[in-house]
Amino acid sequence: MNIAEFLLPGMSKTKKPTIAITSLTCCEGCQVAILDLGERFLDLTRHIKIGDFAFLEEKEEPPNYDIVFVEGAPITEENITRLKSLRERSNILVALGACAALGGIAEIKNYQDKNERMRYVYKNFEGINNPDIQPLNFYVKVDLEIPGCPINKEEFLMILKQLLFVLETTPLGGIEAALSTVKIPRRPVCYECQLKQNNCLLQSGQPCLGPVMLGGCGATCPTNNYPCDGCRGPIPNINPDKLAKQLLAQNYSQEEIDLILQRFGLMDRVYPEPPAAIN
Amino acid sequence: MHIKIDHIAKIEGHAGFTADIAGGNVTRARLNVLEGARLLEGILRSRGIFEVSQITSRICGICPVVHTLTSLKALERALNIEVSEQTILLRKLMMMGQILNSHALHLFFFSLSDFFGLSDDLILIKKYPARAKDALTLREFGNKIIENIGGRSIHPLTPTIGGFLKIPSHQKLGQLFNQSGSALAAAKNLAKLFSGLEYPDFVRSAPYVSLRHSQEYAFYDGLVKTSKEEGLDPNEFMPVLKEHQLQSSAIKFSFYQGKPFMVGAVSRLNNNAHQLNSSATKALKSAKIILPTLNPFHNILAQAIELVHCVEEAQKLLRRVLQKELTEEDRAERDQLIQAKLKAIKGTAKGIEAMEAPRGTLYYFYEIGNDGKVVNCNIITPTAQNLARLERDLSEYLPKLVAKKTPKKAIEEKIKTLVRAYDPCLTCATH
Repeated sequence: MNIAEFLLPGMSKTKKPTIAITSLTCCEGCQVAILDLGERFLDLTRHIKIGDFAFLEEKEEPPNYDIVFVEGAPITEENITRLKSLRERSNILVALGACAALGGIAEIKNYQDKNERMRYVYKNFEGINNPDIQPLNFYVKVDLEIPGCPINKEEFLMILKQLLFVLETTPLGGIEAALSTVKIPRRPVCYECQLKQNNCLLQSGQPCLGPVMLGGCGATCPTNNYPCDGCRGPIPNINPDKLAKQLLAQNYSQEEIDLILQRFGLMDRVYPEPPAAIN
Repeated sequence: MHIKIDHIAKIEGHAGFTADIAGGNVTRARLNVLEGARLLEGILRSRGIFEVSQITSRICGICPVVHTLTSLKALERALNIEVSEQTILLRKLMMMGQILNSHALHLFFFSLSDFFGLSDDLILIKKYPARAKDALTLREFGNKIIENIGGRSIHPLTPTIGGFLKIPSHQKLGQLFNQSGSALAAAKNLAKLFSGLEYPDFVRSAPYVSLRHSQEYAFYDGLVKTSKEEGLDPNEFMPVLKEHQLQSSAIKFSFYQGKPFMVGAVSRLNNNAHQLNSSATKALKSAKIILPTLNPFHNILAQAIELVHCVEEAQKLLRRVLQKELTEEDRAERDQLIQAKLKAIKGTAKGIEAMEAPRGTLYYFYEIGNDGKVVNCNIITPTAQNLARLERDLSEYLPKLVAKKTPKKAIEEKIKTLVRAYDPCLTCATH
């Protein structure tokens, strides 16, 4: 990639921000997505200092970070301690992917009998942490969320460049205000799906959540005949009942709808008071 | 001497290592896995068979393809569903993409720096810019195969019970074929680089296990071949794999006949080298290793040889696919068949399947009810099988290092090198 492409006006070539890309408990697919940027990411590393990215190095961690990207859900006590420590040591903390932003697939147990699930998997379960799964913002202040399972790597690259620009051009203390300029478009998956002129899966009778879920993914799932299951989370202030009503009319049961909403841990966002646990 | 490594980087997931050595004896060598328990087998219960493979894909961001496909195959086995030749070809192609992107990541970005005493890949890339490019070329080629067929390289979307939700276009497959030449050149370059490395001289006696297929170097299908036995059906083998959970650890170790064993590229090479494609066979010859090898560090070299094999195999498969007229599958017909199969289930139906993941044999077991929901399931990942053997290796390797009066810092580096040679995936192992 041409360096000039991201060296925006005012960005210095000398001061390198320190960043971390780190994971709690998850599949680490979001880190893989970043590596999948290939040379475009490696080129960028000439302009940042990588303080922690376990896929590429194993050096001592620096005391502080300008930006830390955290993927994964806090499950173990160590996960939670590390998350809090990273928050204290970082200017900007970004939640990376569905596990960090929503809870992800690990949150499915919140909607089941999680202790029974633990006993099913492990004979010796006493010493294993089994908290309710919560997204990062339950534990610490999160400055920005890059949603998706996995993240859209193009979106990550764009946001990283924007954040570097904010750091470079904003005096210390003004970062919080400047961060509000770094945003993910708030439009539904349907918007992008229609641009691609796909056949509508919802209209063909499938349980596609596209109308109420956050786009930015390029509608990859419906484009591949896979109905949107909301891995990027709901658009704020949606009315979930409207879609539910449509799906019920298409002969889906509320239980089936709930199972889909539980998949990436977004049922508690769509319905702020989740129904009682099902087994 | 007390050795403690808090965190081993450049592996999938989080682990540390501790050992005590007194008078040349290792009293306690232990890999500490620091991964949270996501309770995958638990949370899949009472969920529908059409979605569970999408959830199991999330076990691993490096090898989601093999988790998706093994999960589907086990469900198909339970339902007694045969898939078409077209489906098998496309799935095998996806598997080649899977092995390529995983091996290229591990070989260049995780393991190679160990041979130069570097802790930062960015320095390694400066040292070997052309080989870095080769690794990226192979990752890109692998990813493109998966993306063009599966819809997305990480957590693919189109594979489903009985086939695919969408069939790739002829044009996209043609593009892949056009890229395969440069991918093969890249694979050969890397195989040459890894053949020239000096592997630590550590030979031990350990059983090795992989799938074996009568017609081809097994990845998609096969029977279990151990160092002593031929042709065990995964259906018989998985139930006798003894899973043993260490007290208060979220990891289960696996033993076969009471012994730890090794799976992965080196086991496949030991069992199936005679089935390698022609360029891979040449690469193996120039690597000058004698098979079967009992040096676990050779897992790295074996992966490099598999890179060459898998690009050649992808070429072969692409040629076959391109000669065929790919047909969109009739989804209504498929759904009807699955519903009929479900209805026919009396009580519950069970299925076990295995595939060769990048890191070794992956087993899935499902028991499903006629309501289309999972009643029971079990997943045994390659790393869960390897961990017991890796710990044993470490406790056999350490005294050798101590006997050679290796300085403590160098011992730590060697331990990390051996751990990384296994290419462990702790998110898979815990799941």
